[in-house]
Amino acid sequence: MDAINNLVLGFSIALSAANLFWCFVGVFLGTIVGVLPGLGPPATIALLLPLTFKMDPTTAMIMMAGIYYGAKYGGSTTSILLNVPGESASVVTCLDGYQLARQGRAGPALGIAAIASFVAGSFGVLGLMFMAPPVARFALRFGPPEYFALMVVGLAMVVFLTGRSMVKGVLATLVGLWLAGVGTDVFTAQSRFTFGHMELLDGIDFIVVSIGLFAIGEVLINLESRTGAQIFKVPRGLRNLLPTLKDLKDSRFAFVNGSVVGFFIGVLPGAGSTIASFLSYGLEKAFSRNPEMFGAGVIEGVAAPEGANNSETGGALVPLLTLGIPGSATTAILLAALHLWGFRPGPLLIQENPNLFWGLVASMYVGNVMLLVLNLPLVPVFAQILKVPYFVLYPAIFGISIIGAYSISNSLFDVWMLGIFGLLGYFMRKLDYPAAPLVLGMVLGKRLELALRQSLMMSQGRLSILVGRPLSAAMLLFAVVLLFMPMLGRVRAWRTRAIEQELL
Amino acid sequence: MKLKNFALAVALLLAWFLGIPGQAWPFGPTKPVEVVVHTGPGGGSDLFARAISEMIGKEKLVPQRLQVVNKSGGGSAVAMAYLAEKKGDTHTLGFFTGVWVTNPLTSKEASVTVKDLTPIARLVLEPAVVAVKADSPYKSMKDFVEAAKKNPGQLRQSGGSVTGRDNLTRLVIEKATGAKWVFVSFPGGGERIANLLGGHVQMMVMEPQEAGEHIKAGNLRVIASLTESRLPSFSNVPTIKEQGIDVPVIPQARGLLAPPGVSGDVVKYWEGVIGRFAKTPAWKKYLNDNQFEDGFLTGGSLNKFFDDLGLQMRDVLKEAGVKIVR
Repeated sequence: MDAINNLVLGFSIALSAANLFWCFVGVFLGTIVGVLPGLGPPATIALLLPLTFKMDPTTAMIMMAGIYYGAKYGGSTTSILLNVPGESASVVTCLDGYQLARQGRAGPALGIAAIASFVAGSFGVLGLMFMAPPVARFALRFGPPEYFALMVVGLAMVVFLTGRSMVKGVLATLVGLWLAGVGTDVFTAQSRFTFGHMELLDGIDFIVVSIGLFAIGEVLINLESRTGAQIFKVPRGLRNLLPTLKDLKDSRFAFVNGSVVGFFIGVLPGAGSTIASFLSYGLEKAFSRNPEMFGAGVIEGVAAPEGANNSETGGALVPLLTLGIPGSATTAILLAALHLWGFRPGPLLIQENPNLFWGLVASMYVGNVMLLVLNLPLVPVFAQILKVPYFVLYPAIFGISIIGAYSISNSLFDVWMLGIFGLLGYFMRKLDYPAAPLVLGMVLGKRLELALRQSLMMSQGRLSILVGRPLSAAMLLFAVVLLFMPMLGRVRAWRTRAIEQELL
Repeated sequence: MKLKNFALAVALLLAWFLGIPGQAWPFGPTKPVEVVVHTGPGGGSDLFARAISEMIGKEKLVPQRLQVVNKSGGGSAVAMAYLAEKKGDTHTLGFFTGVWVTNPLTSKEASVTVKDLTPIARLVLEPAVVAVKADSPYKSMKDFVEAAKKNPGQLRQSGGSVTGRDNLTRLVIEKATGAKWVFVSFPGGGERIANLLGGHVQMMVMEPQEAGEHIKAGNLRVIASLTESRLPSFSNVPTIKEQGIDVPVIPQARGLLAPPGVSGDVVKYWEGVIGRFAKTPAWKKYLNDNQFEDGFLTGGSLNKFFDDLGLQMRDVLKEAGVKIVR
């Protein structure tokens, strides 16, 4: 079969000593970049570009891709241990991952994150290998109305993130949607809610909000507690530091969910791994047998989003390599790098440069294996971080958060924003408002508004364009179903109660 | 006695060298030079600046390293404000594009204009072409304009910000021909092409190198070039003027400038460096590979270019109904 031949060719390239070495360098760097909040793959790859001019382009591409998906592995570490999201895609992992850590199950959480990342990452590579051209063509059918519908599906997920009070959850979402509007309007070049601050012209940085709400908010709440902050239980023994067979069994749907959702969202230009992780988490909760446990520390709640943000990298490479279209900031830099190395990314890239494509694909398998081997044994090591006494840990969290926020644009303004959102996170927690819907609103809000206005521009103001096209109509219907699903549970409970009462 | 005379002579000589204005040592950078760009790492300006810094370093035109510094935010607002703060700094340069001229016109927060800074040289002009899907019925720009006239507001163009070159080009063509079609903004370049390929929009203004690969693959067709004369790589594509649509070419220029308050001989130094750079074969190859036009311009003509561009932008934006704040 053609694909097998190509894969053999790919492995012969990927397993050369130089490529193995640089693949390892890439994934290692990527893991570190993922762990550090604020520093991300785009900046790292751009900074390393000059080094690559002297390298063989295929080798350079292998290293860059290694940084890209390596960062997704590393992002979960600080999310789980410290409630500090290392990457914007790891915010969702904080929800259940950190709770698992508080219950003394940090090891299994970290381990499941690594395993889910491996499974989904491999699926992403498989997808890239076998499905790239047809999936890319399918993704082209997504115009603004379809993106709008997709964002609505994402927002419908809010019903699964609200915890006890739906009203508070919706309020938090609305605040998030409003925050997404701060900045410059693309269509009229007018600034909104910037209060004269130049730094707000591009909007509020999402990672600043999430680090503030989650990490700083958590530290502030714990500082307040009179009994002294709880010291996390760190279980002893290797068996307690790795996921159990039950964990793996519980997560089997999450593995599939994360892989598929992440890959397809990745293929859509502009959708991004943050959206992929939210959608995957929401879907996992929607179809779970014990949805009320989500948010309190459920292992699938870590497996699904971590898987999604890894297979998303495979998906994001599809439009890049099959059409020369970059789908995210990182792939945009990779595109520019390909140009610099003399390639012409476009529909003919795969045919004209089989060595590059298949060598890259094969090295992604290799890279995923390397990352699994790197991360799993390190889980017990990382888990020891929790043994650090809180009077050292909390200042360290503060320090990492501040440095992370500052490094986004080398601006103290972001640090001030971090403080404001930290306070907001503290108050939200005191008043029992869930933070996840706010973050969801922020992430989806920008895209939602953009897609809606683009659709309306296309239709000259007629709203019917949103339901007139089959794809978007189907997704909107799905969103409505999602919105009513919690109700179904309640209806069932009423019916059961009614039947019980009748039988009495 | 002899020593005293000798010391006196040396002191007088030193005083002569340092005292007389214009007799100061000729300017040359003595520490790494910052090159400020308004995009983040990986953005268009960032990659361009890095490529040029690398090339200048290879040619050893400057004794110190050129270091790219990213000051992104608010279009070009943050970068321009940063340069304005560095008044008189001889070791800082800025990389401008058309955004640096239009941004202060529409954004109140962007308080620094190009007139506040010291222009050094314009390096390139980026041409653009009009592209449609290969299976669309429009074989020339005239076809598209005719179709737009017949169905006003039905055809769509994908592009970037409403103050960007692609929308402004649409506005001048609309004004000249009476046709009307819709502009849909997409923040990311990839999405603009994806929507064109997916048939959600009918036309797009793109850079020639973006279009090249899709044309080779047979997905897109170029129906006009937005230049004064035909592009070498698209020699069988007529220019917009050749097709009877008489509109000014809205340039997308890139070049260097310096902070305010920089003295004349420093400006002359940098002009000299860029002038020599613009003649190197490595630069010519870069221009060719990226299909840029050599737009080297300095001094008075460069100032006039900025003035003309500013006026042109003001007119076009006002006609478009975009609020002008400055």
